[in-house]
Amino acid sequence: MFKIKLEQKERVSKREELIITLSAIGIAFVLSGIFIALNGVNPFVALWKVITSALGTPYGISETLVKAIPLIFTGLAVAIALNSKLWNIGAEGQLFFGATLATAFIIYGPVLPKPLELTVLIILGAIGGALWAAIPALLKIKFKMNEVISTLLLNYVAINITDYFLFGPWKGKDNFPYTPEFPVEAKFDRIGFGRVHTGLFIALVLVVLLYILIYHTKTGYKLRLTGSSLKAAKYAGINIKKMMFMVFLMSGALAGLAGVSLVSGVEYKLHQQISTGYGYTGIIVAWLARTNPFIIVIFAIFLSILLKGADSLQIAMRLPAAVGVVMQALILFAILGSELFKNYNIKLIRGK
Amino acid sequence: MILSDNNNNLVLMKNISKSFFGNKVNTNVDFTLEKGEIHALLGENGAGKTTLMNMLTGVYFPDEGDIYFKGDKLNFNFPGEALKIGIGMVHQRFSLVGNLTVLENLILGHPDNKYVINIPEKKKLIKTYMDQFNFQVDLDAIVGELPIGVRQKVEILKMLVREVDVLIVDEPTTVLTKQEADNLMEILKSIAKTGKGIIFITHKMSEVFNIADKITVLRKGLKIATVDKNDTNPRKLAKMMVGKESEITFERPKVETKPSVIKIQNLFVNSDKGVLAVNNLSFDLAGGEIIGIAGVSGNGQVELADALTGNRDVIRGKIFFKGDDISNDSPVKRIDKGVSYVPGDRIRVGVAGNQSVWENIIMKVYRLPKFKKGVLLDNKKLKEYAEKIIEKYNIFLPSINLPALLLSGGNLQKLIIGREMERDCDLYVFVYPTRGLDVGATEFVRNAILQLRNQGKAVILISGDFDEIFGLSDRIAVMYEGNFTGIFNNGDHSLEEIGLMMSGCTEEEAVKEMSSGSEDKKGKEVTDV
Repeated sequence: MFKIKLEQKERVSKREELIITLSAIGIAFVLSGIFIALNGVNPFVALWKVITSALGTPYGISETLVKAIPLIFTGLAVAIALNSKLWNIGAEGQLFFGATLATAFIIYGPVLPKPLELTVLIILGAIGGALWAAIPALLKIKFKMNEVISTLLLNYVAINITDYFLFGPWKGKDNFPYTPEFPVEAKFDRIGFGRVHTGLFIALVLVVLLYILIYHTKTGYKLRLTGSSLKAAKYAGINIKKMMFMVFLMSGALAGLAGVSLVSGVEYKLHQQISTGYGYTGIIVAWLARTNPFIIVIFAIFLSILLKGADSLQIAMRLPAAVGVVMQALILFAILGSELFKNYNIKLIRGK
Repeated sequence: MILSDNNNNLVLMKNISKSFFGNKVNTNVDFTLEKGEIHALLGENGAGKTTLMNMLTGVYFPDEGDIYFKGDKLNFNFPGEALKIGIGMVHQRFSLVGNLTVLENLILGHPDNKYVINIPEKKKLIKTYMDQFNFQVDLDAIVGELPIGVRQKVEILKMLVREVDVLIVDEPTTVLTKQEADNLMEILKSIAKTGKGIIFITHKMSEVFNIADKITVLRKGLKIATVDKNDTNPRKLAKMMVGKESEITFERPKVETKPSVIKIQNLFVNSDKGVLAVNNLSFDLAGGEIIGIAGVSGNGQVELADALTGNRDVIRGKIFFKGDDISNDSPVKRIDKGVSYVPGDRIRVGVAGNQSVWENIIMKVYRLPKFKKGVLLDNKKLKEYAEKIIEKYNIFLPSINLPALLLSGGNLQKLIIGREMERDCDLYVFVYPTRGLDVGATEFVRNAILQLRNQGKAVILISGDFDEIFGLSDRIAVMYEGNFTGIFNNGDHSLEEIGLMMSGCTEEEAVKEMSSGSEDKKGKEVTDV
């Protein structure tokens, strides 16, 4: 008989970390394959379908990119908080609140010239997300409430607020819960590749800006120090509470932008399904990318391939819609489980 | 012989060694525990007591040596196994679920639990334990609402319910009032009477003599001796705990002192647990003077240092720095005014371990205008600054991008001290500055401290190392339970007298005790085999 012994590791090298992460993704794929096989579909065929549908045609690629845009925003949102060891599970709610606030301007505000109108929408989206994130931030700072729980629960509140407007004052003429289509001034331009819109550039600019912020500014330095050790940050004279509050606001603002990019860039209206869990998938993106903004882009695309692929599986192979979610969940589980291998040496020993 | 094979032996630890990150925490330690025995494990914090016990309970594995329990060699795979076979430990941080009742906590995770738990039967069973050992706890009370002393009883009760043969209690009285502590010790005595072995980790002399049958003294990871209570006295134990007076002397030239750089008036500070750690403390310190604060760890030294540097709130009292009341200033304000802190917890407080070496060196200067480039930080200049310090203070490392936690203890401390010295402050607070360092690094640190003094800085040196206290200090203060039991010029009292003050004697009592018991003909010490 064998026994397993765990002992704490001193440190894991970058190379080891990469191998562990990739193996975890590999294991998640194998498990997903089993799940797909149990649904009566050959997993290899399904995998091929995922790849070809997401990357095989220009249309597929463009749709994959469309899904990657909000994921970059939410990935950045979760990542900046993670840099200070704060868990923002509420990007989904902040996304909805940001989108709702921007939509409110479209409905109640004047129609401005396009550049101005879009600027206002972007700012309002960011403010909406930041406001929604300010609630858990204050709860944490004032009452030490765990942000994982507060951000998560506030998602449902935000979505219900959106629902209130959709079923109430903003209800469409045909009585369905969606707003009228936005005026052309409130739509992001398409860049001439499927539905891919200029929000992509905003996302990419933010990637660069955040990289600079995190690694080349005083704020970024403080943020990383706070994330590395609260005690050391306090010792270095950093106002930890102020830092946490700021990080939450930034995180929420980024998630709010994801909301604007969806209503003004893709859907052209606000409805209940503008996000299919981009706020949650952003957590996986940020965690896989180890919070590095550039790597976030890579993993945002990786996960949008899965999202796009899962859509196709549903349509072409009659697999349940849950397949995509199951795959994401398996990836997250595998990644979280793989942390064990980063922190411990695992030895098999022959027992009595 | 202590290490004889004997049927009464519950625990036998042979030749145990353990290192963390290259630092030896236990070196060839032997330890035995017999049935019905209360065995005190005495030593400073960092002497390796808790580590030794963590190996007995399977939290760590020894690098070398064997552990036997009732004659069987132990080979744990995970920590829970120790409790299953009858070795239980009550940690300093309780492992109770605050939202559950006492009863629920007691039966939580009990191996006898099947699908249905017979609550009345369990209650009856637990009551028999309480009656047997003569203490009562309300089984339906919510644990989170109980006072700390009662929670401790619940912890002990939990171990009794698990029917442990060996009960380890780690510094159980630190959070208790005097009455609670006395009560606890009565309970422990009655438990021992039933044939269970108790290991009592402590650094308080009075408790040792109240409760222990045998005493093992550890110092710097080594076992110094195991003695019978009746064969020893506080003075001898104090000496074993603190070690020998050293021959090393330091040049301490006379320097002109600047009056009252720091002045503390009736200071009260709480510990993390919310109990008073610094209790009505007052003293002042001139520039060009080192005050060495001796004392067993956990008597408020760290809280004092934290409060002085803004890392902990002042409950009451005042701190004046160069005449300024800084009691309520934030850490950053104090940093800017010229207060420097070399904390005892290097790896968690002194540096942000995951950040690179250079980022840790700039920790207190990055805000300066000279390191700004527009809105950005001038990373190039900051790195140059870091490199300058690395060279000046001889910090050995392969790359400035290395995470700080990978530095050896000595290099890490050089980094911190270099960073602080370069800032040219007026007050320097050092906490255990040479703990765990090798000879070379220790010398570097001590010379640095002296150099600061000679430059006219005020230095507070909190240390558990007497070479350091005697070698460097101009004045020595002995801290016990949040206040000074003595404050005097270096040389006024012997090491033994200081050892007694560390255990709670006043200056006068210590001097008296020393002159009365100058020759002792009591039994022989049983030393290492």
